[in-house]
Amino acid sequence: MNLFRVLEISGSALLAERMRAEINSANLANAETTRTDGGGPYQKVNVVFGARPAHASGFGMMLASFADLHAEDVKVVSLVRDATPAVRRFEPGHPDADGQGYVAYPAIDPAEEMLNMMGAARAYEINASAIASTKNMIQTAITILG
Amino acid sequence: MSWLNTPQLMLLEKALDVNSMRQTLVTTNLANVDTPGYHARDVDFHGEMLRAAMGGDASETSPFVLPVQGLTSRADGNNVSVDRESLLLAEVQLQYKAATSILRAEVAQLVTAIKEGQT
Repeated sequence: MNLFRVLEISGSALLAERMRAEINSANLANAETTRTDGGGPYQKVNVVFGARPAHASGFGMMLASFADLHAEDVKVVSLVRDATPAVRRFEPGHPDADGQGYVAYPAIDPAEEMLNMMGAARAYEINASAIASTKNMIQTAITILG
Repeated sequence: MSWLNTPQLMLLEKALDVNSMRQTLVTTNLANVDTPGYHARDVDFHGEMLRAAMGGDASETSPFVLPVQGLTSRADGNNVSVDRESLLLAEVQLQYKAATSILRAEVAQLVTAIKEGQT
């Protein structure tokens, strides 16, 4: 597998981790949202990562070596709405309060979201380092004849 | 054996091949650091070089890919160790650089031989 393709594998991780951070921000931003288009409070969204073969299909596969078949991109395979029931808080004056004076708030734990965000940031960093390293190898290879 | 197909050049070529394959796998492992159920994989660099040095089948350029042993799995079934992979990232890069430098010296020698004939 050529090293330029390796850059794309790291790139797929950057994309996936950025998406994870975006979804996380949305969850944090909407931690107190009681009204949505679908009705009811905001529901937390989780990203699901999956490994997808990075080798070419069809004719490109003829050129792939056996080991290339083990190279895998990472993709966001689905977004899952968290089904945890809403947290009910007693706030009778709130415009979204029900008959008994309870307001349904999203079940979002800011600490958990922050932790997730840090995970995404760290994973982004390590993949950026991998890109720098691959880039270095490509540059080294170019100098063989020079 | 032709003047361009020396055992040294073939071994260096193999070293570059295996290292670039290893880089692919380290990158794949790092990309999938948060993928549930993913298992880290690697090629055996020393084993592959030994196989090439012993005159292993020259056409067989594909290194064997093996799951990495001795890593602890997280609750989601993923066992990628960021420490191990970042260490390998540095190691592979340096090994690639070393092989390239030697290769460059070999090529320079050939170029010298070619140019000497011109005078």
